[in-house]
Amino acid sequence: MLEIRNVVASYGSVVALKDISFTAEIGKITTVIGANGAGKSTLLRLISGLEVATSGAIHWQGESLLGKSPESIVRMGVAHVPEGHAVIAPLTVAENIEMGALFRARSNKDDVKLAIGEVYELFPRLEERKNQLAGTLSGGERQMLAISRALVSRPSLLLLDEPSLGLAPLVVEQIIETIKALCISTGLTVLLVEQNANTALSVADHGVLLSIGSVVADQPAPLMRADSALRSAYLGY
Amino acid sequence: MNTLITTLFLGTTRGAVFALVALGLVLVWRGAGIVNFAQMGQAMFSTYVASTLIIKGYGYWFAFLIALAVGAILGAIVDLAVMRPLTRRSHAGVLASDSMRATVPVIASLGILGVLQSLAGMIWAAEERGFPTPVSDVAVKPFGKTAPFTKFDLFIIVVVALTLVVTTLFFKKTGMGLAMRATALNPEVARLSGIRISRVRTLSWAISGVASSLAGLLITPSANLSPNTLDLILIVGFTAAVVGGLDSLPGSVVGGFILGLLIAVINVYVSPDDVFLALLVFLLLVLILKPGGLFASKKVRNV
Ligand SMILES: Nc1ncnc2c1ncn2[C@@H]1O[C@H](COP(=O)(O)OP(=O)(O)OP(=O)(O)O)[C@@H](O)[C@H]1O
Ligand SMILES: [Mg+2]
Repeated sequence: MLEIRNVVASYGSVVALKDISFTAEIGKITTVIGANGAGKSTLLRLISGLEVATSGAIHWQGESLLGKSPESIVRMGVAHVPEGHAVIAPLTVAENIEMGALFRARSNKDDVKLAIGEVYELFPRLEERKNQLAGTLSGGERQMLAISRALVSRPSLLLLDEPSLGLAPLVVEQIIETIKALCISTGLTVLLVEQNANTALSVADHGVLLSIGSVVADQPAPLMRADSALRSAYLGY
Repeated sequence: MNTLITTLFLGTTRGAVFALVALGLVLVWRGAGIVNFAQMGQAMFSTYVASTLIIKGYGYWFAFLIALAVGAILGAIVDLAVMRPLTRRSHAGVLASDSMRATVPVIASLGILGVLQSLAGMIWAAEERGFPTPVSDVAVKPFGKTAPFTKFDLFIIVVVALTLVVTTLFFKKTGMGLAMRATALNPEVARLSGIRISRVRTLSWAISGVASSLAGLLITPSANLSPNTLDLILIVGFTAAVVGGLDSLPGSVVGGFILGLLIAVINVYVSPDDVFLALLVFLLLVLILKPGGLFASKKVRNV
């Protein structure tokens, strides 16, 4: 279980998260939705160790994450795919993927090979473009690559920041279906940050709605999806 | 005709050394975002160590390897003892702004250069020393004719070529090489991938230390060793790195060779007095015509 308790975070004088608490169940997709600037990316960056919280606690499977470096947090099974197709453009597709497994390349050689084979199976387009520079990929392919980079670390918790950004609905659907299948087959836990609340709530098990740094709703996804008052108040449709 | 060939040979061997210096500078620039003005001070120091060992009666190769090790260790120490604490994010005050965060380490490297030069002056009494070569440095004479190069020239070219091949293989074929490139290109994604970027950076400093110590060992036989003999080499190496685009490893190497040849040609056909003027003009021309350097990394759109 991912447990976020009374987390406060700020950038200088800007308070981005004001006392956030919620939990995400193992093997489920929990989606965090909210308008621009609600604090969604900040939340993921805190979990993966890229930012430091002012106060509060974050636990993954009973272990505290706050205060640890991103390098150590990855080793605890938490993989973060940050906003905006985060791949390293001047490296090849194969190198980007290999990079995600470097930290366990020596101790787990066979499994790394297996994991790389699996992501190529999930995204055959990437295998075809193996030796191409990541910077030459289309937006959708880059997102697949960023996710593959995270998957080869064999995460137990996957943090996805707006995977749908700039992608065609069909590609989004394909990526989300892939993730959903992984949750079912491997027990992967997913924290999915989305602008597009409708898509997110339709695949997620649970929804957390953030508004200017506070949790305003925390319910099963279908309930949240059906709540038109909530939608019009915070999401504007 | 013969003068021309001799000039080209001289240019190539000097260029090979400048290439090493430029490579060292680019490694640290890419890895840590710092222009390391102390680099040739570190090289001077390790060359003095080698020279002392040779004077004490140890063999050239033993001294050579020790000097490379000292270069690596000095590089790592500069990072661990000075640069890492200086660039730590938690520092408030002077380091609060981005421009200060970029400037302070460079100033610190100038300070380190000063410290190394005075230390060398104290330890080795600032005496000028010659430095031996492992192979003959008089012109080879195959078939009774004087060739335009010496065995030592060939030695330099072979050593530098080997170094470049090994470096390239290291970056392209090993996991650590990939980690170093990833860290230089995008530290955030590198960290999220589990790469321990501060260790990787220390390694960049160490490798840069080895490259510049090697340059020191190869160039001092043709200069004299004193605490600041290598200052000029740093200036040429830095120019080479900028000509090559500052963030491109192959660019720095090509830049080194171009400058080596340019300097040799100006030396022989114009006047040794005009070398630095020529360097300056060349640098300005490159910066005006190709502001990113001749080999600026290919821009890939980040959208
Ligand atoms: N590096 C930063 N420095 C200062 N303020 C920041 C920084 N990053 C984020 N903020 C501020 O923190 C708040 C939350 O930002 P965050 O990126 O978490 O929002 P978000 O919910 O991800 O928004 P979006 O949907 O647009 O990505 C915003 O007010 C933002 O301006
Ligand atoms: Mg965001």
